[in-house]
Amino acid sequence: MFFESIKIMFLGMGTVYLFLTIMIYMTKLMSKLILRYFPEAPKVQTNTAAPKAPVQRNNENAKIAAMLGALQHHHQLECEGKI
Amino acid sequence: MKKLLFSLAMIFSLSLSSMASEPVVTTDTTVQTTPTVAPHAEEPKKSTYREENYQPMSFNEMMVNFYYTTGISALVEPKKGVLTAHGEPMSDFHQTWGRLIMFLVTFVLFYLAIAKGFEPLLLLPIAFGGLLANVPIANMAGPDGMLGIIYHMGISNGLFPLLIFMGVGAMTDFGPLLANPRLALLGGAAQFGIFGTLVGAYALSEFTTIFDFTLQQSAAISIIGGADGPTSIFIASTLAPELLGAIAVASYSYMALVPIIQPPIMRALTTPEERKIRMRTLRHVTKLEKLLFPILVLMLIIFILPDAAPLVGAFALGNFFKETGVVDRLSDTMQHALINIVTIFLGLAVGSKLAAEQFLVVDTLAILGLGLLAFSAGTAAGVLMAKLMNLFSDEKINPLIGSAGVSAVPMAARVSQKEGMKDDPTNMLLMHAMGPNVAGVIGSAVAAGVMIALFK
Repeated sequence: MFFESIKIMFLGMGTVYLFLTIMIYMTKLMSKLILRYFPEAPKVQTNTAAPKAPVQRNNENAKIAAMLGALQHHHQLECEGKI
Repeated sequence: MKKLLFSLAMIFSLSLSSMASEPVVTTDTTVQTTPTVAPHAEEPKKSTYREENYQPMSFNEMMVNFYYTTGISALVEPKKGVLTAHGEPMSDFHQTWGRLIMFLVTFVLFYLAIAKGFEPLLLLPIAFGGLLANVPIANMAGPDGMLGIIYHMGISNGLFPLLIFMGVGAMTDFGPLLANPRLALLGGAAQFGIFGTLVGAYALSEFTTIFDFTLQQSAAISIIGGADGPTSIFIASTLAPELLGAIAVASYSYMALVPIIQPPIMRALTTPEERKIRMRTLRHVTKLEKLLFPILVLMLIIFILPDAAPLVGAFALGNFFKETGVVDRLSDTMQHALINIVTIFLGLAVGSKLAAEQFLVVDTLAILGLGLLAFSAGTAAGVLMAKLMNLFSDEKINPLIGSAGVSAVPMAARVSQKEGMKDDPTNMLLMHAMGPNVAGVIGSAVAAGVMIALFK
């Protein structure tokens, strides 16, 4: 009966590997077909363009804030007569 | 005690005398018409029931009777005839010290969950279920108790694990696996933990006197090596329902202990140079690929191993709903509300198996030991497989991600990332480790399918 468990081990690991190997090749094939015949390229551009806009705006806001801060600082320095 | 017995005897004699008076009535009625027997026979029963139900007693008697219904009495003086949730007589040790020890065990689990943060979402419901299951007299884990009802609702028939799998599917992103499919082999290697332990457990049962597990029981225990709680419960409820409690607790404990168990094994099997290997950035995966992948996996299961279809089917369903993007409400429910509700039920029901008479047995220690072995073997096999793949391929794999092949998602992948950062703080392994991690889920579902196919 002990060899029964060894047999199960080989059958089990064999099935797991067989399954995963078939899955790997089928996945590669699927990806190849999809990337060749149904590429996502135009969608990607529109998708990335949309979130970029607010990010840039945020950057601009940050820039303006930084400029204002610098101006204020400069103004203070002037008032204190350090420049 | 004597008074209690006396009152019981009184009740018994009363009911006997009422039964003795019945035949007189029935003999009269049988002469006329037989159907009228029933109402005549019931009437006196009803009235005696009302009398029996409560007997006037002195205050002293009342206090003594009440004392026997307290937990102190039940925990201090073991009684004969107390039954377990399965209706078997319970030993004195399990009625007294056993329960107290289990209270302490659940307090330790509370501490681990709250203070140490070990999988609190699962450990807390399990620990609280365990606490309730050990309440004397109330019999909450029995078939009519709250925990027993929950247990029969979804654990003994394997429903809850599948619902959890649905939610896990809806939370899983197959992107990293689709970007580098060959990493799925690492998820396969980690399943060696399951089958290696099966051989080990059965060999120890066969050639030594330490354990005595059947082949089915060994199979159910070894599934712990897949580090997948729902799968363990699913298999245990099919192959060895009597061991389910210990298996579920071991499985979830080891999932929570992933960050402690795995790193020493990973470091022992790798060199610092190997741990510093940087992997190529993953390519972008299109939406269509992600959408079709769960269907592809399910079709393969249908053709190769339909016995794994419940597990993989639920997983694929959750993932497919998420990736379609048109049923966000459903996928959102699976990811949050449904999985949360089922987690509460699952935790409590598994906790009900922490009842002293079931948990404080030698088998539990054996299961905890074998589970640890299975888990460690799975981790080691994943790391070694990555090293083996590096021998045959130019595109090097960081062996640290091999350990993520045990399915504990996403804990195992996080451990890979953390260990990688110890040697090179800028090396980001998380996304690479997610590939073998989700492949491990599929791998252990396939391994479970093999077990069911062989033993059902």
